[in-house]
Amino acid sequence: MRTLDTKQQILDDAGFSYNFDRKIYLNRERRKIFSVEFIEDHDEKALEECIREDTGGKKWRFYFNEEPSESVKREIEAVLG
Amino acid sequence: MASTERTIEDRLREEYFDLLPDIRRVTEQLDAEIRYHLLPVSKGLDRHERLVITSRIKECESALQKLRGDREGATFDPDRAELYSLTSLKDLAGVRVLAFPRARLSEIDLILRKAYDGWEPDPFKEESAGLAFKYWGYRDSSARVKGEYQIVSVLTGLFWNVEHSVMYKPHAQLAFVSGHLGMKQRTSEVLQALHAFEEQFEVVLRKAQST
Repeated sequence: MRTLDTKQQILDDAGFSYNFDRKIYLNRERRKIFSVEFIEDHDEKALEECIREDTGGKKWRFYFNEEPSESVKREIEAVLG
Repeated sequence: MASTERTIEDRLREEYFDLLPDIRRVTEQLDAEIRYHLLPVSKGLDRHERLVITSRIKECESALQKLRGDREGATFDPDRAELYSLTSLKDLAGVRVLAFPRARLSEIDLILRKAYDGWEPDPFKEESAGLAFKYWGYRDSSARVKGEYQIVSVLTGLFWNVEHSVMYKPHAQLAFVSGHLGMKQRTSEVLQALHAFEEQFEVVLRKAQST
């Protein structure tokens, strides 16, 4: 379970914050969203690779275990403003 | 004339109040049955032992949050609204059995498994919940609403009650605070500490009884 603290630290250091309403970690500058399930199911190395990944930074990139539908993405993006 | 489109949440609230009489009946039936089945245990408790049976009806907003929170990203898909029903929840009607010492948990589990033959086990996600049991199924009081019973140690159950009533219930916006990795870690540590406390208490009691 200690890995949870390590992952939290990785996300903190990369400027991600937790959204209490959607169970996601997000960084507005990087335009990246991680679901809690994805973070739990991937190790620290994979998490760091995703954080480093160049996504262009224009559209939100969703790191979910199961790719969300376009309508779910729109809902989440609308909530984030 | 402009029409107002109902949200998924609105439809689910309507469904909740349609289900509510069934939820009440299942809760009352489960509560009464479990108390009856565990009567031999409660009558045979030693002075230091505890058996506490509580039941609850899941509240409307809690049910909606649970259904939404079970989805990755805690978001309903508006294009698939027809998929969502509160009848998919296993714990609209719930009974929790708290017991001390932990040896009683397995005994109670055995009794209730016989009484609820065919009910599905639904193991706790939290490994740190330790020795704990959870099952769901249907009773004859409703074909629509599932019931659930849990068997956990006294301290674990009381911690969950406090955690729920103090942290989540009064602040709907904090409903998913438990998803925060730091909170998960701390919760796990609390549960481990409670197990260690119970274990130590049991050792001390055994020693005291043998002298």
